[in-house]
Amino acid sequence: MQSQKLREMRLGRRQVLAGLVVAPALLSARAARAATDGTAVVDSWYRLTLELVRHTPIYSPPVASRAFAYMGVILQECLAGGPEGLVSLAGQVNGLPPLQPSSAPVDTAFVLHTALSSAVQSLFSHTGPTGQRAMAAMARNLTDKLASAPHPDASTARGKAVADHVLAWASTDGGAKIENMGFPQQAVKEAKPGEWVPTSKIAQQQAPLLPYWGNVRPFSMAGAADCGLPPPPPYSEVVGSEFYTEAKEVYDTSHNLNDEQKAIARFWSDDPMLSPTPPGHWISILRQISDRDSLSLDRQVEALALLGISMADGFICCWKTKFDYNLIRPVTYINRVIDKTWQPLLNTPPFPEYPSGHSTQSGAAAGILAHLFGDKFAFSDATHEDDGLPARNFSSFAAAAQEAALSRLYGGIHFRSAIEQGLVQGACVAGHVARLKTRAT
Amino acid sequence: MMRALLFLVFAATPALGQTPTYSPEPEAGLTTPYLGDWEYMVGGGVAVFDCDGDLKQDVFLAGGQGKAGLYRNISAIGGDLRFQPVESGLEIEAVTGAWPLDIDGDGLTDLAVMRVGQNRLMKGLGGCKFRDASADWGFDGGDGWSTAFSATWEKGATWPTLAVGNYIDRTQDAFPWGSCTDNWLHRPAGATGFAPPLALKPSYCALSMLFSDWSGTGHADLRVSNDREYYKGGQEQLWHVDPGQPPRLYTEAEGWKRLRIWGMGIASRDLDANGTTELFLTSMADNKLQSLNPGAQKEGPKPTYDDIAFARGATAHRPYTGGDIRPSTAWHAEFSDVNNDGLDDLFVAKGNVDQMPDFAQNDPNNLLVQGPDGKFVEMGDKAGVADMGIGRGAALADFNLDGLPDLVVVNRREVPKVWRNVTADAGGFVGLWLADEGANRDAIGAWIELRTGAHLQRREVTVGGGHGGGSLGWQHFGLGKADQAEVRVIWPDGVVGGWQPLAADGFYRLTRTGAEQITR
Repeated sequence: MQSQKLREMRLGRRQVLAGLVVAPALLSARAARAATDGTAVVDSWYRLTLELVRHTPIYSPPVASRAFAYMGVILQECLAGGPEGLVSLAGQVNGLPPLQPSSAPVDTAFVLHTALSSAVQSLFSHTGPTGQRAMAAMARNLTDKLASAPHPDASTARGKAVADHVLAWASTDGGAKIENMGFPQQAVKEAKPGEWVPTSKIAQQQAPLLPYWGNVRPFSMAGAADCGLPPPPPYSEVVGSEFYTEAKEVYDTSHNLNDEQKAIARFWSDDPMLSPTPPGHWISILRQISDRDSLSLDRQVEALALLGISMADGFICCWKTKFDYNLIRPVTYINRVIDKTWQPLLNTPPFPEYPSGHSTQSGAAAGILAHLFGDKFAFSDATHEDDGLPARNFSSFAAAAQEAALSRLYGGIHFRSAIEQGLVQGACVAGHVARLKTRAT
Repeated sequence: MMRALLFLVFAATPALGQTPTYSPEPEAGLTTPYLGDWEYMVGGGVAVFDCDGDLKQDVFLAGGQGKAGLYRNISAIGGDLRFQPVESGLEIEAVTGAWPLDIDGDGLTDLAVMRVGQNRLMKGLGGCKFRDASADWGFDGGDGWSTAFSATWEKGATWPTLAVGNYIDRTQDAFPWGSCTDNWLHRPAGATGFAPPLALKPSYCALSMLFSDWSGTGHADLRVSNDREYYKGGQEQLWHVDPGQPPRLYTEAEGWKRLRIWGMGIASRDLDANGTTELFLTSMADNKLQSLNPGAQKEGPKPTYDDIAFARGATAHRPYTGGDIRPSTAWHAEFSDVNNDGLDDLFVAKGNVDQMPDFAQNDPNNLLVQGPDGKFVEMGDKAGVADMGIGRGAALADFNLDGLPDLVVVNRREVPKVWRNVTADAGGFVGLWLADEGANRDAIGAWIELRTGAHLQRREVTVGGGHGGGSLGWQHFGLGKADQAEVRVIWPDGVVGGWQPLAADGFYRLTRTGAEQITR
């Protein structure tokens, strides 16, 4: 029901908190939007954030999902209690205390800009000198464009207060500190036959990425076990066993890939430090939809908040499951049992196999976006056009998630069980996130 | 018979080398710091060459936002390392790096100077004097952020072909990602200068490039190492550069395998003396040591590389001393036999980009010493070169002609650091200086083969690679315990010289007519 109501909503682009309406600036509509509109402010910061995720080395997919979740919560809290009808997530997501509403009139766009400026510069404080310059330039440019906005001091104070409030809460979730790009210093020395072992010749990756991430505090559920999964097929090297059969499927598929399947594998590869990562890919999809459909600010903010939370919780659940089962990767098994020279199309990620992280988080993302926009919502995804990968078209979010999941089979980095169960896990997560109340009515 | 076999086994396996020892030279006299902020976060090169004909290699230092400087080597033979600033005409601002070569074939070394702004070709006039000959030679210096250089003499050419690597569009400081500018290829226009440059499209923010006969077939292609921080859709590159033909990229169908790293520097050496070169590629965290995949070479040379860094102990991914366990950031890399055991070792300059907190701030330089098993062992701390400065460029050169490669390292925002190699009980050595006829006076593109018993060393003579600079002049070879060696040169035109006997611990000029010992 909420989805239907949301689809019918179209609110004005420029509002203020505390029920105050500010006179529109004397600019053309496009220029006015570019200069002062909240949607443009949000989009500008998210555009930069996608680059920062790509260019900040600690930003592996789970870490990126966390940043997007907290940015989304900050946006939601900026608008909560305002005329857009959004409500606070305090008391709904784990451990977020309420924040006193602003008593002074503020400008929405200015609040959002200040909050995102603080949030991005905090979450990406570890980025390199180029990213630091870009953040400073973004802050400076948007501040200049908002120079004529009313209530600058109160707006600045409110935006910073919201950001500080949420970031203080974020600092206690167990995921704030990343050392050695997320890799333990001690290499894996011994493993049973079915257990994960390092798959690359990169010295840093001789231990699995972020083994503790399953214990990071989730947003929408009591714990990662709320969306646990049954075990993968029992390990076996016997020809004809379920495990062998799944491995043989990966092997055979790799030898029969057509151009379309290779394109799918590369489109959803979303490698850290070479792309905005899988969560950034779905944020990019939402950005494209927001731009195409001129989403109102409240819908944009609500969608970014729920999408970010769904992917963050998806990764927490996925990582808990991965390290509970600690399953061997296809390349290790196939080299050991089927073909010692075989290599997958994609680089095998440096952590256990089951379930597929991209499948879980794509399932979660698709589930929450379908909740917001509908089950049969067609869209085009040009996330990787700058990287030379053409846009792909999808009839629904579920279709995109299924393709993302299957891309891991084409890429040779996941067995089918990990793909299918990942989607199941993602749907479970989306169900939890969809229960969060984002609107007053 | 048994005795002969035992001799061969012994001779083919160099003895375990001495731990190298370096002594800091705080009074060396190199006082040009590499200054500047964002536009000088890369670069910081050092060029080593003889500018005054005394056969001692002198030093040119990039100064970044400040002025570059040339320093004459006044070290006594076997003595402390000392340099003296020279008014040379090279006092240029905005220099990121430089590579020495004799462009016009007059026997005087020139200097290709890379800059933030217009690049310059500085003609050597002798006596460590230079003048800007860019316009005379038709060289378009552009207005980019130039960070890499290499040169080759294409078959039949009497003038070199230059490759210039360019970085980010520096006007896009607020959103620089995806703004890589074109690298340029400057080919000769006749025998007196250069044609307008060809853009090497696509370009992906090169930080090092090297013309190299990677396959040992006598033909040089252009390897480019690119910084993935800024490109979109990019990767490492290898360009076909065939005479009279437009450059074109090697493709996957030709065996090229996509690799995407924070490419910052290239060091090249035929480590296993099999006629093809290994490449050490510097990056952040793990570095790469590439060797051609043997299986892919069955039907002719293919640029299909395996990464053997992990197997050979050359990942150099994290500080090994000083307590900082965050990943490293690597820049200039260079092979040289620092303990004269007949095996090439590897120096890597390390330093944070600037203030990247996820990477080591105390990031010691590496000195990876190769053992008889082909594996590299870190000895930077034992050798005394584990400096924590913010390293960029470097050079290994025997500045005092005592037969041991000394070291100079450029760090950001401070004067360079110099170390004298004082390794006790090092093996024997020879220093070789190639002098060819015709336009390519320094025999760029030649291969040197040196054997001591059954142990063979092979080396390609190149201009380019590294980070921000390179050396020209002496080629240093360690001999281990051998008291003599044989050397031959495969000259750039493919002519194979005869084997020349050399006594250990000598310096030799190699020409097509033979080897001439030079008295120090």
